[in-house]
Amino acid sequence: MTVSRGRLPLRLTATALALASLCGMALAHAARPNVVLILADDLGFSDIAPYGGEINTPTLSAFAQSGVRFTNYHTTASCAPTRGMLLTSVDSHRNGVPNIPETIPPEQSVFPNYQGFLGTNVVTVASLLQDAGYHTYMAGKWHLGKERDQLPFRRGFERTVTMADSGADNWEQKPYLAIYKKANWFADGEVFELPKDFYSSRFLIDKTIEFISSNADDGQPFFAYVPFQAVHIPVQAPQAFTQKYMGVYDSGWSELRKQRQHRAEQLGITPVGTPMVDMSSTSDWNAYTEDERRYHAKRMAVYAGMIEAMDHHIGRLVDYLKKTGQYENTVFIFTSDNGSEASGGDDPRSPLLRFALKMQGYNTDYETLGLKGSFNTIGPSFASAAASPLAYYKFYAGEGGLRVPLVIAGASVPAMEKPNNAFTWVTDIAPTILELAGVKPPSGRYGGHPVEPMIGRSLLPVARGESDRVYSPTETIGYELGGNAALFQGDYKVVINIPPMGDNQWHLYNIVTDPGETQDLSTQMPQRFQEMLGHYQNYVAKNGVLPMPANYDAARQGVINGILDRFGGQILLAVLTIILLVPFYIVYRTRRR
Amino acid sequence: MKTLLRILIALPAILFLVTGLRWSLDPSSAAAALGMSLMDGVGRSSQIGDVGALFLSMGIMMLVALITSRRSWFHAPALMLVLVAILRVIAWLAHDAALALDMIMVELVVAGLLLLASSRLSQAD
Repeated sequence: MTVSRGRLPLRLTATALALASLCGMALAHAARPNVVLILADDLGFSDIAPYGGEINTPTLSAFAQSGVRFTNYHTTASCAPTRGMLLTSVDSHRNGVPNIPETIPPEQSVFPNYQGFLGTNVVTVASLLQDAGYHTYMAGKWHLGKERDQLPFRRGFERTVTMADSGADNWEQKPYLAIYKKANWFADGEVFELPKDFYSSRFLIDKTIEFISSNADDGQPFFAYVPFQAVHIPVQAPQAFTQKYMGVYDSGWSELRKQRQHRAEQLGITPVGTPMVDMSSTSDWNAYTEDERRYHAKRMAVYAGMIEAMDHHIGRLVDYLKKTGQYENTVFIFTSDNGSEASGGDDPRSPLLRFALKMQGYNTDYETLGLKGSFNTIGPSFASAAASPLAYYKFYAGEGGLRVPLVIAGASVPAMEKPNNAFTWVTDIAPTILELAGVKPPSGRYGGHPVEPMIGRSLLPVARGESDRVYSPTETIGYELGGNAALFQGDYKVVINIPPMGDNQWHLYNIVTDPGETQDLSTQMPQRFQEMLGHYQNYVAKNGVLPMPANYDAARQGVINGILDRFGGQILLAVLTIILLVPFYIVYRTRRR
Repeated sequence: MKTLLRILIALPAILFLVTGLRWSLDPSSAAAALGMSLMDGVGRSSQIGDVGALFLSMGIMMLVALITSRRSWFHAPALMLVLVAILRVIAWLAHDAALALDMIMVELVVAGLLLLASSRLSQAD
């Protein structure tokens, strides 16, 4: 091939421009940070050290020190709705998961937006990142649908190992509730058997490292979603971690709640002098015998050990990223799916409970508490301490159910010495990740069909100190889950909690000066109160929020749905068999006569 | 003796009915119970249609046999069961299938019970 003299400079220029363009693209890609989204399960507001907890969490403390702690971050009060909103930035009543599927009543489950699994009308942050050239990994709890087409490998995750249920054992492949026939684990969409040496937190980080390693050399950034099982029930931890907390909780839950309240104030997490309520579900520690107090203290020691174990394994991931030179270009986002979990009662060794757990292959023995075969919970009294100084806990719309830690740290996120008190919402996480990655949210259509728009805001301007607020004082954020509901506007919140813990009445609180929700302002500020109730009704109408059936009881509905889910086929089979046999029996009897 | 024989026929008849219905309600677990996985497309249609019909037919014929006491109703399911057992052996000998001895034994025992019942319980057609 010959090139004429006149055309040579032109070609050289074009080649140079193309190379420059390619280099630019490569640099732009290289500059895109990796993102690790870590979701703890049922972690209380003040459980980890940077939020006032006595539990040793050095990795999370390091994140808090090098990044931003959000003290006014809210999520939903139950796991599946949070996960749906976290990954899609779409309200739970629009993305198909307004409640956990286990407790959706039949009056609601006939509606398409109340199916309990992530709808195809929403797009996940993983899909958008994958389209933008990110590797997308997930290791942990999904709970957004357990049919094959509902699993995360169909929702934008390139490599997955995932547990599809609301929870499962941490030591073996075993369901923690009788409503499940087995613990449903999947890897890349296929049924998966857990290894013999399984411990949930270690395994999930091992898999995350394995996924990241598999593509570490190709220069593409990654998004790793790590939704831990810790610290969902059954609360289980390796003995070495539990051992560190033996004796720490001997003073009881009320003392612990006070200690954490004090430390949270010292750290600037809550205002100094924050009042707090005593939950009616909190028992009198001194009314228990010495043996009972010893047992309860160990329940909480296992819980603390489980949190420290989680932190330890997050630390292993950090070490791996540092060793492989990826740490400096990685952003970590750590949060929890809802507030602390109060189930389990304050009498976990009652004969009835022991019998029920034995049927499941569990025991509640003191000596082996937290180990393989042991079923441990912290109960409502310690759950209240875990949410200190907030009121309520998981499932309820009180701050203890909705307000959880949020730490963002790493590349392009400067250290912020003081905690940030801007109101932030679970739907803000996906837009934050997208801005970090330089990816635009979906604009009405995705994959050839219409999708719901993302409603959240990026937290980066606040995290970088460029802005004080994410939402203006007049903007409103509505929330509803199983009849517990709230609406946020500026520093205020109207809230209703249903029985057994709630009084089924609306209240108004200033959650900035009174995060403990101790002083109802509804009579002092009647105009604001009525305006916010009106905004809530608009939220209900706009998002298709359905009323709860009369006498709805989440626990009872969970049992009914569980029986139908697990045994519905067999029940139908028995009924059909009987229907088929009845004519034969009638003819048989008639002929004998 | 006759009552016992009726019960021994009625029990597998109900079991066959349940298995047949299970193919229509929960085919994946019905398939797993027979050592197979649920296929896709036409294969799935054949599995549910053919296998489900086989079990339902046998169960219904056995119950009809108990009610009518007609010999042919005992013979028909017995023939089907013996053929299933023979085909299982052929599958093992000629087509590398596992020798499902436990299933073959059940099929032959039930077929034997049906033949016994045809002589003890039945009246001529």
